[in-house]
Amino acid sequence: MTILTVAIKYLRGRLPASVLTTVSIALGVGLVIASILVSRGIKEGFIAGATDYNLIIGAKGSPTQLVLAVVFRMDIATPNIEYTIYEELKDDSRIDVAVPVMVGDAYQGFRYVATNSAYFAVFPWRRRMYSLSSGRFFRDDPVDSPAYEAVLGAEAAGGTGLRLGDRFYEGEEMADHPLTVVGILRPTHSADDRAIFISLSSFWGMNELAHGMVIKPLTAVLVRPKRLSDITGLHRERNVAAETQAVLPSGVLLTIFNMMAVAQEALNMILVIVGVIVLIYVFVAMYSATLERRREIATMRALGARRATVLAIVLVESGTLAVAGGIGGILAGHAAAYLAAAMLAARSGLVSQPFQFDAVQPAVLAIVILLGALAGLLPAVLAYRTEVAENLAPLS
Amino acid sequence: MSPRSAVVLSEVRKSFPAGDGGNLEVLNVEHLALSAASCTVLRGRSGSGKTTLLNLIAGIVLPSAGTIEVEDTDLFALSEARRDRFRAEHIGYVFQSFNLLAAFSALENVMLAMLFAQVIPQRLQRQRAGELLAQLGLAARLAHKPQHLSRGEQQRVAIARALANNPPIILADEPCASLDAATAREVMAAFLAVCRQDGKTLLLVSHEQAALGDADQIIDMAELNRAEIGKAAP
Repeated sequence: MTILTVAIKYLRGRLPASVLTTVSIALGVGLVIASILVSRGIKEGFIAGATDYNLIIGAKGSPTQLVLAVVFRMDIATPNIEYTIYEELKDDSRIDVAVPVMVGDAYQGFRYVATNSAYFAVFPWRRRMYSLSSGRFFRDDPVDSPAYEAVLGAEAAGGTGLRLGDRFYEGEEMADHPLTVVGILRPTHSADDRAIFISLSSFWGMNELAHGMVIKPLTAVLVRPKRLSDITGLHRERNVAAETQAVLPSGVLLTIFNMMAVAQEALNMILVIVGVIVLIYVFVAMYSATLERRREIATMRALGARRATVLAIVLVESGTLAVAGGIGGILAGHAAAYLAAAMLAARSGLVSQPFQFDAVQPAVLAIVILLGALAGLLPAVLAYRTEVAENLAPLS
Repeated sequence: MSPRSAVVLSEVRKSFPAGDGGNLEVLNVEHLALSAASCTVLRGRSGSGKTTLLNLIAGIVLPSAGTIEVEDTDLFALSEARRDRFRAEHIGYVFQSFNLLAAFSALENVMLAMLFAQVIPQRLQRQRAGELLAQLGLAARLAHKPQHLSRGEQQRVAIARALANNPPIILADEPCASLDAATAREVMAAFLAVCRQDGKTLLLVSHEQAALGDADQIIDMAELNRAEIGKAAP
């Protein structure tokens, strides 16, 4: 028999209280871990999902909405711009690459993204590479004879269950122009995994409104200038123009992060309050448990237990609760973060990686053990100071 | 040649703070010696200082004056931590209310005393606890928690716990007071037999006939405790 087994015996002796205390610690720790993982996941998801392009040209309106809609497919799309703007940009000598993008409706929750083959092209400056797990990319078909071919993002393929050669459409109005799956992309860990890519001609052919338009619509144009020094000029020109705005995606990300920081601060305050409540709960549980067994502590002292021994027993008890609650909380926090990441991906297209084990988990566990021991310190001192003779009076 | 004294008290006084701000002297013993391997029965009216005397010999309470030697060691010259260790190794204490720990089985209650003394090697503790309980007729009750034992069985566990570290001195404070007469006789007989067999120095507060009959020395607190002299008999 050791101090640890004595402490565990005592914890098992008051099992309901011990379980409740452990669960309350686990809930507190779980909240902290989930909060850290989710906020970090969102931030990293935004960074990983950010476009490689320096500018996004779209219709006048909210810059944040434009970036969220075009890059992360999170918000409703901004009003359209004319295809001619893309042609102007493509012919601009300062621009290296311009890619037209049209964000459309969704098939089973997976957005149509109409573009051309440049969207998937390999450039030396690109971070994100697109490769196919099966099939081929769609063809850049002419406007008057769309091919109605689709390339599915990895999650879109998994989520819809579509395979190569499958034909699909949603809504009776699209029944005349079903799309054929010609390729499935490998995961990119971005919103593109949840997209259904089609050619612009196919989109315009499917969309009744666009079909009848002489000048075809676009949501935005992704722009990569030849020289970084040209960004400022292009940005200004497109913002001065009546119908367009130019947005720096990195600037919008900064705005989003600033907004997140405010929310994070409020969340941190709530987490501190939760932590304090849990700490008080552990303290009260340990204190009342120690008060209840003053006679037993006195008995142990009479049997020869030193004051330091009874102090250690109470501290090991609170430490054991903290370890159990801490580990449970870390596991629960990861489970919650996993669910949150899945929900976030399903609802917004933001892909985050919740299972990241690094210094955070051991640090949180160490802090929880320390706080658990702290919560047990006063009850332990109470045990330490228990007077033997006073508490051993015969029971009537 | 006179037998060796296992416990010697000299000019021991114990006072407690009184409500009026002064001190109330509850014990004043000029001299008391307990021979090694003897059985001494202490008797006296309620409040005559019997429990205080036992607590002083156990080193649980400090004397206001005087010296107490146990096994040739001046108990109160030791630091508190060393006195605790000394108590664990040299003194077994049987309480009137048993004071078994509810979260632990009979076997574990006995082993707990060994944890504090660390005189019995850890690998042998379980075996020794089992043997002691078997010796007291509890071989079938090792895994039972105190609340699942009868009062007589609980007191036997308490006796086994007092003997766990094989201490030379056993203090017992009315160990059978809360038992019915038949159980008290049975438990007392077993207790005395084990103490005699192992050559323990036993100081026993009791009014049991079995104890009185088996005692080497019977001490009346009214005669021993000078603080008691002059007080009315119950």
